[in-house]
Amino acid sequence: MNAKETKYFHALQILEDNCTGCTACVRVCPTEAIRVRDRKAQIDPNRCVDCGNCVTVCPFHAILPRSDSLDLLSNFKHTVAIVSTSYFGQFTEDVSYGVAKQALFALGFDEVQEEAMVTDFMIEMIRDYIRANRDKRPILSSNCPTVVRLIQLKFPSLLPNLFHQEAPMSILTRYLREKIQAERGLAEDEIGIFLIVPCAAHVTAVHQPEGAYKHLQDGAFSIGMIYGKVREHIKNLQNHPPTIDTYPRGLTWALSGVQAELVDCEDIRALSVNGVENVMEILSRVEDHYLDQYDYIVLRSCTNGCVGGCFNVENPFVAMSRIKKMIKEGENGEVDVRDLEELYGEGEFEVAPLTPRPVMELDKDIKTAIVKMKQINEILTTLPGLNCSACGSPTCYALAEDIVQGKAAIEDCVVLLQRHSREDETVEG
Amino acid sequence: MQDFAAVRSEMGEFWNIRSGLEESVKGFFSAPPEADVVLESLIPEKDFNTAGKGSAEVKNLLKRLGVDPEVLRRVAVAAYEAEINVAAHSRGGMMDSYIHSDLIHVVFRDKGPGIADIAQAMVPGFSTADDMVREMGFGAGLGLPNIQKNADALHITSSAGGSTVLEFLIYFANNER
Repeated sequence: MNAKETKYFHALQILEDNCTGCTACVRVCPTEAIRVRDRKAQIDPNRCVDCGNCVTVCPFHAILPRSDSLDLLSNFKHTVAIVSTSYFGQFTEDVSYGVAKQALFALGFDEVQEEAMVTDFMIEMIRDYIRANRDKRPILSSNCPTVVRLIQLKFPSLLPNLFHQEAPMSILTRYLREKIQAERGLAEDEIGIFLIVPCAAHVTAVHQPEGAYKHLQDGAFSIGMIYGKVREHIKNLQNHPPTIDTYPRGLTWALSGVQAELVDCEDIRALSVNGVENVMEILSRVEDHYLDQYDYIVLRSCTNGCVGGCFNVENPFVAMSRIKKMIKEGENGEVDVRDLEELYGEGEFEVAPLTPRPVMELDKDIKTAIVKMKQINEILTTLPGLNCSACGSPTCYALAEDIVQGKAAIEDCVVLLQRHSREDETVEG
Repeated sequence: MQDFAAVRSEMGEFWNIRSGLEESVKGFFSAPPEADVVLESLIPEKDFNTAGKGSAEVKNLLKRLGVDPEVLRRVAVAAYEAEINVAAHSRGGMMDSYIHSDLIHVVFRDKGPGIADIAQAMVPGFSTADDMVREMGFGAGLGLPNIQKNADALHITSSAGGSTVLEFLIYFANNER
């Protein structure tokens, strides 16, 4: 995808037939990206950070998180699945790690690889990066695509603090594509590498990566979408458990808290934060240099980390407990990271400097922005201040702003309209 | 702090103006123009849950205006420290932010009991915070010095037993260096 393209791809789609215009989504959006207009929700693609709050809250299943179709597999000679760590927390406890992994082959993949394989390597890479960038404190994790986009939008001064290296699934993609090309004599575009992901943000990141220098994945499949099919294959596999390498120690990647504990060491102090509201509060404090005592902050938009993603089927706390059990009980397969270390040394995992997306500002010119703010405040004094969202904007303030920006009218306020009609009645009576 | 000029302190009043800005600061205070946007916020006594809300609001507002991130951080830190000071040391007060096209003027007025010796209060590490305040992680004696460091102009008037007024100016054009 062209990096200069200003139109943002998003994995969230509104199904107008299902949408009742109830405004539930409008109220939970952390970047105020949603408005209800003509009784249908609309997402502003420039503001959306793919957090999935709207998907979770919608009572009418009107916001569909899109992921790719498995039909894509037929376009390639050799297909690889890279599975997100949170996948393994989605099954009942009688389903072993190995069985859950083996079942993925039945979807049509030639190879199944795991994000968990590179967790240990990632931890070392993060530590190395933190030590090499002493001038920047704290370093902020960049694995969560929503967090990266939130920083571009609302905390642009913190962009240099982001860990400017690829996320584990992209590192694996880079490594595997070259390895398979060499081993099988296939061309780059004959190999299909796909992610199995816990959230819509990862689908967006596959289709519109930020800062990627090279071709990464060819598609992303939602855990929720493949879950039904996988379950059937699991039933068949239960009687003949496979012998297959697993990497329980690496499953920590799905849990933001445990990941911070792993990075934390004698000379590195790490903090873990999850949930988009908490993330925003912490970023605001980082911005004011109140958290400079931390060397590294793990930031995840979802509850408990990736186990809280909107594509998961299991509750994030139950999934977390299962994953912790697997980490404790499992035996780790050997991973040879020498090639990865070499690639890292050559700077192959570097990410281009991330750029701001200043769309929250009222105007590019500060004087005009102040004039607009003045107008907003004037309009605000006439609005009822109930923040009821019935107008389709999240708050009275947002409505005032929409009016000033020419995106709404004062008549959209239902409460004012009712007051005026009562006054009219009194006058007429 | 050698790059600060016009440091003058006497019982009851304290001025500190970043060097090079004396003229424009004097001009501002001799005839304060009407602000374009005003933001008011209440600071209840010893309420550390509420303290900080006013400065957060100001920061969000300046962000919407597109103020330089470094200037924004200075405003946020100065306002936050001053807000905490009012909550920790006074019987509560008010924070009023006046936004002009080129600067922000923030005024904190409290209900006493006043600062006995402002010069002493400006010394890093000096604090009169009580045990409760210290237990909550405040009272390190860095509040006022931190405000002074970040503001382009700082003005405090106070007397023992009376109320304290602290006000600061920060220009939007990044002039820290």
